[in-house]
Amino acid sequence: MNDLLEKPVITPTSTAAVEIRNVSFSYGSTQALKDITLDLKKNEVTAFIGPSGCGKSTLLRCINRMNDEIVGTRITQGEILVEGINIHHPSVDVVKLRRDVGMVFQKSNPFPSSIFENVAFGLRMRGERNNAVIAQTVEESLKSAALWDEVKDRLQESALGLSGGQQQRLCIARTIAVKPLVVLMDEPCSALDPIATAKVEELIWELKHDYTFVIVTHNMQQAARVSDRTAFFYIGELIEFSDTKRMFSNPRVKKTEEYITGRFG
Amino acid sequence: MNQPHIFHEIDNAMRSLKDAVILMAGLTRQNLERAIQALLTRDIDLARMVIGDDSDVDDLEVRIDQIGMDILIRFHPVASDLRLVITSMKMAHNLERISDHAVNIAKRAKKICKSNETVEAAIIEPLYSMAENLLRDALLSYTDTNTELGESLKPSDRALDAAHKQVISLLSGRIETSGSRTENLLHLIFIARSLERIGDLAVNIGEDAVFLGEARNIRHDHKKDKAPDAEQP
Repeated sequence: MNDLLEKPVITPTSTAAVEIRNVSFSYGSTQALKDITLDLKKNEVTAFIGPSGCGKSTLLRCINRMNDEIVGTRITQGEILVEGINIHHPSVDVVKLRRDVGMVFQKSNPFPSSIFENVAFGLRMRGERNNAVIAQTVEESLKSAALWDEVKDRLQESALGLSGGQQQRLCIARTIAVKPLVVLMDEPCSALDPIATAKVEELIWELKHDYTFVIVTHNMQQAARVSDRTAFFYIGELIEFSDTKRMFSNPRVKKTEEYITGRFG
Repeated sequence: MNQPHIFHEIDNAMRSLKDAVILMAGLTRQNLERAIQALLTRDIDLARMVIGDDSDVDDLEVRIDQIGMDILIRFHPVASDLRLVITSMKMAHNLERISDHAVNIAKRAKKICKSNETVEAAIIEPLYSMAENLLRDALLSYTDTNTELGESLKPSDRALDAAHKQVISLLSGRIETSGSRTENLLHLIFIARSLERIGDLAVNIGEDAVFLGEARNIRHDHKKDKAPDAEQP
């Protein structure tokens, strides 16, 4: 475990990077998640799929407590453990949690600064002052994000001048620069063309050896391509969670079959 | 699956695929039936018809592959939809091979018809009945997605294999004393062989129907049943 807590509440014993235990979540009086239990295994890609409003993004945002920022929302029962540690424990530093559980959003959101500074941002926030270390980490992160060759000669140029696909890979580089345990991705390719999408998917596939990924996607083929396991949600409930190949060849639950084959409603 | 797709074009494409397979299955059965009729009734014209009609079956195999490819490209099917596409394409391949066997039977029937009557031709009929029943059940298992029926074909195929052996033994025995009829008896041996192979192909179709219905692969299960004791702890 990183420095989420000075003293771990629970000793990690599981192969799961994230354990979601009986989690229910409400937006005010509206229950968005109902008694969700699932494990996200280390160094695997887990896809969350389901129709709009099914709760998949809500659950994703629970994992790094992004929902804390929304007034009137709360986890009404259950707990989420990251590397065995309850993320709602009073001693958990939410800023550190979000460093350990990074997030890439639907729309790429580079800061209005240079390419270099975008990637260096998390390191500086963490208190890193050694410029050599920062430069080396920026380079490694950009290489890991398969962006280095495209930007190495213009690191001081504005990140806003990059293409959409490059900006999204820059955001991934920024996320992994601080060496998170888990990377959450909320429809990371929905605004990208097929080539840029393929590059991001290739990146996920390469990086899963070092990180645990959770990806929310409406694209069934993307879930089938990049994920090891897939969770299907419907109206706040986890309907089926299984090996991706199994789910897309022979789902256990009729509702899943209807959704993934486009027979819903 | 009764529930239609939201995008109805997928249903239309799936229906086209299945209709083409059913049409191909009907033509294949008809070809086989006519080939045997040609043999038993010494009808050369009927044998010629079977040989000529085989191109329709070949064309359908190509069409089914094309429809299947189009569905894969356009709709990226998954789950039961994907299994239907895969199974239908495999089924078309098996049907094409069955129709080829019907053509082989028709060609040999034509040759037999051109010579004196061979009384042994009648012993082919029971083999044909067994092969035809197997084929009918295999096709039903696909059209009705009847996995129980699809899985039940192996015992019938074993009975066909046993009957085939008896026929071969009988015909081989008569060859020794057949004189000028030797060639016709050899033709009958090859016809019996084709019927035995049709039984095997029908079993393949039944196995594919099980995969279609339950995503369960039962191919080669009989080999696993016979696994040597040495492999056990």
